[in-house]
Amino acid sequence: MAKNDLITRNLMLDSLKQYAKNRISHEFLRQQDAKNEIPLDILKEMYDHDILGVHLLLIPEEYGGLSGQTTEIYRVCEQLARIDLGIATGVFATFLGSDPLNVGGTAEQKAKWFKKIAQENKLVAYGATEADAGSDLVSLRTRADRVEKDGKIVGYKITGSKMWISNGGVADIYTVLALAPGGPSWFIVEKGTPGFTQDAHEDKHGIRLSNTAGLAFDEVYVPAENLIGLEEGKGLLQAQAVFGYTRLMVAAFGLGGGEEAVETALKYAQQRIQAGGPLSEKQGFMLKLITPHYTRLEAARAYIDWTAKQLEVNNHGLATEGAIAKLYATESGNKAAEDAIQAMGGFGYTKEFAVEKIKRDVKITCIYEGTSEVLEMTIFRGRWQEHLKSRGQYYIKQAEELDAIHLQHPDVGADSAALGMRALAHILEDCRVQKLTRHQYITFMLGDLICEAEVAAVFAKQCAAGIVTEGSRLDLNSLKMMSRVTARLSAFKIATEGMRLILGVGGVAAAELLQAVNLTAINEKMAGLIEDQDGVSAKLREIFKA
Amino acid sequence: MNIIVCIKQVPDSAQVKIDPQTGSLIRAGVPSILNPHDHFALEKALAIKARTGAKVTVLSMGPDQAIAVLRLALALGADEGVLLSDPTFAGADTWATAYTLAHAVKKIATYDLILCGQMAIDGDTAQTGPEMAYHLNIPQITFCESVDSDGQQVIVKKLIEGGHQIMEADLPVLITMTMPIDYAPKYPSFLAAHQAQEKPISIWKAGDLEADSHKLGLEGSPTRVSRIFPPAGRAKGEMITGTAEEMAAKFVEILKKESFIK
Amino acid sequence: MIQVSEKCVGCGKCVSTCPFGALSLVNKKATASSACTMCGACVSVCPVKALSLPATATASQNDLSAFKGVWVFVEIGDDGKTQKVRSVSLELLSKGRELADQLGEELCAVVMGQGIVKFMAEISSYGADKIYAVNGPAYRDYNTAAYANAMITLINKYKPSAILYPSTYVGRDLAPRVAAQLFSGLTADCTNLSVADGLLISTRPAFGGNILADIKCPDFRPQMATVRPNVFKKAVTRPGTMAKIISEPIAIPTEAGKVRIVSKQFDEVTELEKLDEAEVVVAGGRGMKDAAGFAVLDELAAQLGGAVGASRAAIDMGLQPKEKQIGQSGVNIAAKLYIAAGISGAVQHTVGVEHSDVIIGINKDANASIFNICKYGFVGDARTLLPKVVDGIKKAKGK
Repeated sequence: MAKNDLITRNLMLDSLKQYAKNRISHEFLRQQDAKNEIPLDILKEMYDHDILGVHLLLIPEEYGGLSGQTTEIYRVCEQLARIDLGIATGVFATFLGSDPLNVGGTAEQKAKWFKKIAQENKLVAYGATEADAGSDLVSLRTRADRVEKDGKIVGYKITGSKMWISNGGVADIYTVLALAPGGPSWFIVEKGTPGFTQDAHEDKHGIRLSNTAGLAFDEVYVPAENLIGLEEGKGLLQAQAVFGYTRLMVAAFGLGGGEEAVETALKYAQQRIQAGGPLSEKQGFMLKLITPHYTRLEAARAYIDWTAKQLEVNNHGLATEGAIAKLYATESGNKAAEDAIQAMGGFGYTKEFAVEKIKRDVKITCIYEGTSEVLEMTIFRGRWQEHLKSRGQYYIKQAEELDAIHLQHPDVGADSAALGMRALAHILEDCRVQKLTRHQYITFMLGDLICEAEVAAVFAKQCAAGIVTEGSRLDLNSLKMMSRVTARLSAFKIATEGMRLILGVGGVAAAELLQAVNLTAINEKMAGLIEDQDGVSAKLREIFKA
Repeated sequence: MNIIVCIKQVPDSAQVKIDPQTGSLIRAGVPSILNPHDHFALEKALAIKARTGAKVTVLSMGPDQAIAVLRLALALGADEGVLLSDPTFAGADTWATAYTLAHAVKKIATYDLILCGQMAIDGDTAQTGPEMAYHLNIPQITFCESVDSDGQQVIVKKLIEGGHQIMEADLPVLITMTMPIDYAPKYPSFLAAHQAQEKPISIWKAGDLEADSHKLGLEGSPTRVSRIFPPAGRAKGEMITGTAEEMAAKFVEILKKESFIK
Repeated sequence: MIQVSEKCVGCGKCVSTCPFGALSLVNKKATASSACTMCGACVSVCPVKALSLPATATASQNDLSAFKGVWVFVEIGDDGKTQKVRSVSLELLSKGRELADQLGEELCAVVMGQGIVKFMAEISSYGADKIYAVNGPAYRDYNTAAYANAMITLINKYKPSAILYPSTYVGRDLAPRVAAQLFSGLTADCTNLSVADGLLISTRPAFGGNILADIKCPDFRPQMATVRPNVFKKAVTRPGTMAKIISEPIAIPTEAGKVRIVSKQFDEVTELEKLDEAEVVVAGGRGMKDAAGFAVLDELAAQLGGAVGASRAAIDMGLQPKEKQIGQSGVNIAAKLYIAAGISGAVQHTVGVEHSDVIIGINKDANASIFNICKYGFVGDARTLLPKVVDGIKKAKGK
């Protein structure tokens, strides 16, 4: 059967929105949040084939699923996040938990478990994290000892513990990473297996509608056929193979949470009268608290969508792009939610409005599936290699490409994006020459600057290609205004922050560096920034009426 | 038994906003939906299909994007879709719309029952259904809350002033459906949305219909919009501001002055 | 697509007018996109007359001079016990009288039913010059085929220029069926009717917006319109005069038998009727927020002896049942006192209430359009104001 087309995707999203509208009120979410209870019946309905059957997206067609493409899965994630990030996390845990099977499972294993998940609407949990092994899975402690019979491996006994496992207390099926004699390996463990217990639900800052619990394994016996791929030692590769993809999904969470917060604040501001007019008409209010956030979220959407389409071609990999998407989208979403509270003043601080909860919820997206700092490191490592391999030309080439785009499409900010890229190339090269990457802090910050530069570049390229990002409510002209804003601010940040880092260590002349990163040219491109931002504000006011 | 359901894509009225200066609609970013009365009619057709195994064809006239509502209908369980999409159809009032739809029905040829929503929420005219019935030379029953059929006859509950009546009719017949107050439209599961991609949708142009080309679109429309303008309103009355207490006192005073409190 | 001539000066007026967002300025000239539905809304706003609809061939070939006279389809109401002329028909006769006078033509009523002779005096007093009466047991209950056949027969025989129908379940079933057969224009749910250059101008809210459109039917006859109850005021213009009654025996066509009434049931007194006829109506909108907000309105209505209604927004929020909806898509009212609480005043709402004598609006937004039709406008939160008003009324009554 054909892949899902745009109309199908939109039908699915409409069904999801309508379901949420009918079943999940703000009052309901507020109560569950206060009680720290997970709405298991909602999750079951979302998995019900006749109602929604959301989980079918991650199951291949041949096993009764829908073989969802990356684009529809991220868009569903975004929509779920707009409804509630706790519920979204519960659904996502099943996506994530099934991934080791998807990547490494044998045909028989896939047939057996996917059919079970698809037909019996099973909740799945992904059991990787331990007290000493987060993103750093090499420090794994949970063991899987072979059980042999007549010289043949018939099974494994798993011993150890996992923590902060989403769906940990409520899943039916667990994929568990444990250290087998041949190396880290994934095992499928069913709830109720003797020796396998789940801890109490954590009392968290946010996503309180998502069950999070520790898992304990005391010599839990699983048959050898539950070893994913039937081969020991493949676990880390299988885990890493999907990072690009899973991080993109969390990026969509940051996007969805952020959007919901800004839109709530903007709709409020449209009816809040202050000094004779609605708050949303006030330039200071908009340019401080609303417009920049929505702009960053649209940039994030363009980048996520671009990465998703790449992943659909390349299937796996794109770990750096996944990290960039997640870092940019979740940090932007988090800051957007923070300012949404500010925008609503006292109302924002109460539980009567959703933004207070979104703020608590969205913070998790900067933490799980790789903290922002882990991502900065990942991004830095990935692109540092490219910088070295290309002898410093990696970003120069991209700058040239952007310059060429600017000649054809002078209205997408490609000129500023190119200046940012050149500044970045120079800063990386300076760091190499001065051996500055011995400072861990600098590597983090470089990861951040790389992220800024690449998002701005992709946004400008997408706009130049005339692409209105799927799911965006804006038109191409507004996206171009946003792209110009994004490119200018990103180039400025790269140049000034980069200078700060290098000068902070010392040994380079400030005047020379100022010229090298070409801050003057970057600043000259600022003309029109406020006009573009005001234009974006006007468009947002038009779309998000009270 | 063959059922044709006529459906229309409309802007979601719950999200349509009005420009306070011009009074016109702000359509930017407003999603399109299946007209809710049509959605209800479709669900009724599908209920008959579930009982009798009838074939359900959905028919719509509109721009190419209107294919989305046909796909929704197919995902909900309709068997086949037809979209009438041609620049020639533009500018149609209800007369020309009904004429065009009726000719598509004639091309579909086999039908026993035609269901329509009583009206589209972006036009509120409730004229297209009865006008179609005339062009097909079949009877009509309008404003029905329920419909059932055994393949020979149809039985409906129709709204009348101050009550309702139960009516029966021989097939073929055209029924317009009125959604109930608490109607909550059904939406398809992800699987059903996916499977709808495999169901056939035909796109017909003006040339595909055996219709008089002078009776299509603008040319086939007897009515013309001669002017649009914002509502005038009365001369603006007295505006009262102040604390709640002050205003309440004034309110009671006015009620006395106008002798609504004796 | 709409046609733009060289005369276009790029002022952009049409761009903001287009209800479909189909016009934009390209190189300082108005340009229509494929979203254009050729509704014609932009044509009249163009200051230099640069916009036009494409010319059509069939127009102006018809001899329209033979068509004379304004007709009103008079509906006989039946509540299961007694029959009476529906009030809306009398409202239409009153308006029809004005139109006929402006046109210098006669006003005719068309009445169908059984035993309708008893209504002739009443119909005459509302201004009819002639009454075409189609009497007989087969016309006792409304039947689409029978009524449409009778209308068509009369129209072909007497050639009226315009016909007004009540926008009731009967009128809205009959009028489009007749319009389809005659290839003539029909405008639904008009909020005003007037005459210009000998043409009937039908005004109605358009494009779902806060905007009204004048619609005409220049090239075909008869020009037809439906009108909802309480849009026009009833006026006895010819007390004691009897119209000329023309009895028309018209046979029932065989198709009439294809549709049969099995049973009829009338509701006790619906909320709809209460609202329709209430002298005091208190209605709430989105601003009343919740059930507690409407409880205050119930109390206020009880104090004033009135009925409670709601705006479309409040109905959509599930705060009140659909039959309490006031406005063009619900019930039109013509009360002595109408209080609109927390209602912003979309045109669908205001056209349905503007015939009330005293309108009081309460809204937090001083610019809310509801205030455009109010005699008294209170700027504030109805939820805090009205409980105090109720207390005040109680005190005033206690004295």
